[in-house]
Amino acid sequence: MSETFDIHFLIQTFFVALSGVPTALIVTIVSLIVALPLGFLLALTRINRIPVLQWFSQVYVSFIRGTPVIVQIFIVYSSVPLFLTSLFKFYHVSVDVYKINPIWYAFIVFGLNSTALMIEVFRSAISTVSKGQLEAAYSVGLTNLQAFRRIIIPQTLVVALPNICTVTINLIKATSLGYAMSLQEITLKAKVAANANYNYVEAYIDIFLVYLMLCSLVEYLFKRYEKHLRKYKTVAA
Amino acid sequence: MEKYFDVKYLWGSFPMLLPYLQVTFVVAGLSVLFGTILGLIIAAMKLGKSKVAQKIANGYITALRCTPSIVLLFLVYYGIPAIVEIFGVSMDTVDKIVFVVITFTLQFGAAMAEVIRSAYESIDHGQFEAAVSVGLSPFQAYRRIIFPQAFVVALPNFGNSFLELIKEGSLAYTIGLIDVMGKASLVIASRINAHALETYIALSIMYWVISIVIEQLFLQLEKLFSKGKQVIKPA
Amino acid sequence: MLEIKDVHKSFGKNEILKGVSLKIDKGDVVVILGPSGSGKTTLLRIINFLERADKGHAIFDDTDVNLKTASKKQIHRIRQKVAFIFQNYNLFHNKTALENVTEGLIIGRKVPKKEAVEMGKNALDKVGLSEKYHAYPSELSGGQQQRVGIARAVALNPDIILFDEPTSALDPEWVGEVLNVMKTIAKEGTTMLVVTHEMSFAKDVANKVIFMDGGVIVEEGTPKGIFTNPKEDRTRQFLRRVLPEDYMVYI
Ligand SMILES: Nc1ncnc2c1ncn2[C@@H]1O[C@H](COP(=O)(O)OP(=O)(O)OP(=O)(O)O)[C@@H](O)[C@H]1O
Ligand SMILES: [Mg+2]
Repeated sequence: MSETFDIHFLIQTFFVALSGVPTALIVTIVSLIVALPLGFLLALTRINRIPVLQWFSQVYVSFIRGTPVIVQIFIVYSSVPLFLTSLFKFYHVSVDVYKINPIWYAFIVFGLNSTALMIEVFRSAISTVSKGQLEAAYSVGLTNLQAFRRIIIPQTLVVALPNICTVTINLIKATSLGYAMSLQEITLKAKVAANANYNYVEAYIDIFLVYLMLCSLVEYLFKRYEKHLRKYKTVAA
Repeated sequence: MEKYFDVKYLWGSFPMLLPYLQVTFVVAGLSVLFGTILGLIIAAMKLGKSKVAQKIANGYITALRCTPSIVLLFLVYYGIPAIVEIFGVSMDTVDKIVFVVITFTLQFGAAMAEVIRSAYESIDHGQFEAAVSVGLSPFQAYRRIIFPQAFVVALPNFGNSFLELIKEGSLAYTIGLIDVMGKASLVIASRINAHALETYIALSIMYWVISIVIEQLFLQLEKLFSKGKQVIKPA
Repeated sequence: MLEIKDVHKSFGKNEILKGVSLKIDKGDVVVILGPSGSGKTTLLRIINFLERADKGHAIFDDTDVNLKTASKKQIHRIRQKVAFIFQNYNLFHNKTALENVTEGLIIGRKVPKKEAVEMGKNALDKVGLSEKYHAYPSELSGGQQQRVGIARAVALNPDIILFDEPTSALDPEWVGEVLNVMKTIAKEGTTMLVVTHEMSFAKDVANKVIFMDGGVIVEEGTPKGIFTNPKEDRTRQFLRRVLPEDYMVYI
């Protein structure tokens, strides 16, 4: 550990940490783009008791929620190359699996992870939207698809929004584990900068500040959107 | 590196890892104990009348909610000795487990503060008034009427936070604590990174089983405590 | 115009409808009376395919639809002709009053938006809600919500409107305004099938009253006939329970 607190390093490294934000955000956004529709659909399979699929999503959710993210990362990171190597060998593709950009692993891990969390979020949200809403939609002549798109999904989203916010925040935080895949995100970048002179305290203060800003911003945006949608929530909830 | 999957290594990992569950549970148990006390204090600050205390409690909860466990862990691990050192005390001989417990106490405390607050607020104010109106003292009203109801509301969220704690606790290996996760990394290193997958799968099965057991345990507790009582739905 | 033939329905072991048949002509206002649990709601829901019958037919004008096996297409076509008023309104929480009314027009019927808005406003005007086009359901009283529900049905210009106890979830103070709206649309010649416990509505507005009990139609006739001279014991007992003494005299 360095002997004295280095303000100069603190300021410099803050921007290093900041430069990891885009990576963290891209991983978060891609994961959400995968997880939101997939989570919704799989939640429907559980609500409508669709034979094999509901069983699958139940086990899937249970596993993801029952194991640490870091272990999930290690499993994906050590199994996907094994799998790809044999696949590539079989099809005579000459790509070195160990040169794949780690961000792809991050997409897989965090996409799988947040899909499971979204299933739970939507499962409870959909169950708060009453069956009467669907029946009313049918009664005015909407088809199944129209009823979901125009009536059920918008209402579900409002109810689910606070939990979607929580999942998003947790997802951003979880990207800090990207170090295990050599993902160049906030934590890894700042830590590497600190390695030279052992300025770990400063580096972690910077990392802490960056996450604090990022999460506060995300929470603020969700709150604003929630307020915007609040109008009909009183009854919907 | 050998690149094939061998179930033998998967089964072989269990006897090596199982003894270290003890460390995992000690960390979780101590963090829950201290974290719940911390959570009570912060919830009381948040629910109390002092504006300053409310601000501090809110700031604390927000900051902790925004900090990844691994960042908090390293802040504690490097930061506390640095601060203590200013006063001329060295923490070199302090066991790593202390830093881990401090970290997760801080984190669990923030989570519990919210759990306790929302459970408290979910109880209809009329309950307190009714209790006082039949002659209970305010303290009795809390102990006999409010607390038992709030407890039932808080139970599932407490269970969830507990599960989170056990899973996040796995990160303690990064500062060198040898719990199940730490032992798994050692096992893998000793095999020169071969058969890492099998070991991690064994590890994930252990965590999975623990999670399911805890989940079921809390479900049973919930049933037990809400028996005969009106189930109060949090607003 | 609409004929229902031999509808059967069970939930698990409970047989709720044990062969119900009825006929409604254009312009009819038919009121169904009956004790709680007699299957009135179930019957209406089956007609609108919110529930599938175990057996039975609906004959709409000249098309015969099997209530058990109807195809998606047939269901869609019937729903275009039949509107439903729910006991608990079921307004779309995420839509304003006007949007609630235009939703079925624009999306279900493919009416051009401008036209639909015009029609929607007319319907809301008719139920006395000209001031509330842009209010969300949560900003409306129960009576207002139910009037939007009626406007939503009327705007679709259906061949028949089914009402399932439209006033029973309302505070007493709002019942009158909803009944008045129902009277108005009845006078305009709308065909209506109404489940209600509002005897005054049955007496003043209906031209046919059906008494259901235990999953069958016990008796049917004109309001006057049913109220003053019921033929069946069960009808008499039911009426004695629900009608105030002086009301019997008044008839
Ligand atoms: N989805 C369902 N599953 C099981 N049983 C049902 C279902 N819907 C209705 N029932 C049962 O069918 C019976 C008839 O119900 P229905 O709602 O048709 O009665 P109703 O005549 O409308 O009564 P009310 O005047 O109370 O509204 C009741 O005993 C009810 O419990
Ligand atoms: Mg009914």
